[in-house]
Amino acid sequence: MSTDDTPEMSGEPGRPEKAGEPKKPEKAERPEEAQEPQEPQKPQPGGDPRKGGEAGAAQEPGEPKGPDGPRQPESQPEPESQPEPEPEPGAAPQDGAVPRKESAPAAAPLTGRQRLMNGLWPPRLTRAQLTVAVLLCVLGLGLAIQVRSTSDNSALRGARQEDLVRILDELDNRTKRLEDEKRRLDNQRTELESSSNQAAEARKQTAQKEEQLGVLAGTVAAQGPGIELTVSDAKGAVEADKLLDTIQELRAAGAEAIQINDVRVVADTYFSGSAGKVEIDGKKVSQPYKFKVIGKPQDLEPALNIPGGVVQTLEKEQAGVSVSRSEKIIVDALRPAKRPDYARSSSQ
Amino acid sequence: MIAVLGLIVGVVVGLVVRPVVPTAVEPYLPIAVVAALDAVFGGLRAMLDGIFDDKVFVVSFLSNVVVAALIVFLGDKLGVGAQLSTGVVVVLGIRIFSNAAAIRRHIFRA
Repeated sequence: MSTDDTPEMSGEPGRPEKAGEPKKPEKAERPEEAQEPQEPQKPQPGGDPRKGGEAGAAQEPGEPKGPDGPRQPESQPEPESQPEPEPEPGAAPQDGAVPRKESAPAAAPLTGRQRLMNGLWPPRLTRAQLTVAVLLCVLGLGLAIQVRSTSDNSALRGARQEDLVRILDELDNRTKRLEDEKRRLDNQRTELESSSNQAAEARKQTAQKEEQLGVLAGTVAAQGPGIELTVSDAKGAVEADKLLDTIQELRAAGAEAIQINDVRVVADTYFSGSAGKVEIDGKKVSQPYKFKVIGKPQDLEPALNIPGGVVQTLEKEQAGVSVSRSEKIIVDALRPAKRPDYARSSSQ
Repeated sequence: MIAVLGLIVGVVVGLVVRPVVPTAVEPYLPIAVVAALDAVFGGLRAMLDGIFDDKVFVVSFLSNVVVAALIVFLGDKLGVGAQLSTGVVVVLGIRIFSNAAAIRRHIFRA
């Protein structure tokens, strides 16, 4: 132990003057020394120089020597500065041999562990502790900030500039690709929408047409303004052709839907039978013949009443004829839709 | 003891307050932290060796931080920032390890 210390201590020239002062800390430390009398035999000090070689880079071992000597006097007058003097014995390598002999027996045995304990436990408010505390506080702050910021959005925070540029490029490319895709899909959507609009429009038109054609073909009921024509043929003198004439006249006047009694009159309606036993489309119709006609009443009525027209002709046959206008005529006799066997639409 | 308290206070403040680091300083913070850690380990070792001196500690702490940041800054300017900061971290890591080994010998005597 003492052999190891000697070279260190012998180096310090400033020691002699302070020889009296260091004793204070030594006294303070003595109890600890007493606790560990085995200190001298420890191999520990032997290890120290070795460490100094390995970790020689560590700034502390070398540097303190210079500043220590001169600084020491300032801090030592205060009795509280015990932690400082405490390193002194070890840190005073250049000291002369004279003070060393005085202090050596007292100061020699202080293990690193003891020094740590000294520094840790009785918390002393010294300048060294305070400065170290401030610096450690700064370190802790930086540590916490860094840890927090790297755990924030770790992927980008720690990335270097080139990586960031690459990531940005990739993102740009991806954005471009996605935008292309979006445009394509948008086009597709507008196409589909317009086509579905067209389809809906076509459906609507078809439905309208179907209704119109249904009215013409007699497959749907119809209602609207028109007239009612009643032909009462008490004597059974009205022939089928007279009824047909009536129908023709009505059609010529713009009748759109016609019903005689409960038979709908359509394009392929035919009249048969003899006077008094008229059949329409093979169905016997009884008297009186009641025509329900949808069309413009102002056209239909005069068309029937013109001189030499239907009404006069029928009256000549001794039939009673009455015509009445109505704002709402309902033609509800239906006939089944028939699919033509041979004729096909040429527009298909 | 007070030093340890200082460290704890710093960490807690950093976690609670969430201070915003200026973007210009941000790339140097990790290196500076590692350099400061190196200084702290060196200081701890010096304390165990009994040659601790607060002035030296302050100077070495600050100069470590500044030099490390400076090296990274220079590396960034030269376009080798990534490699240089890796180098700095490696060197500081080696020092931290050797200091830690010395500390370990003091404390565990092994």
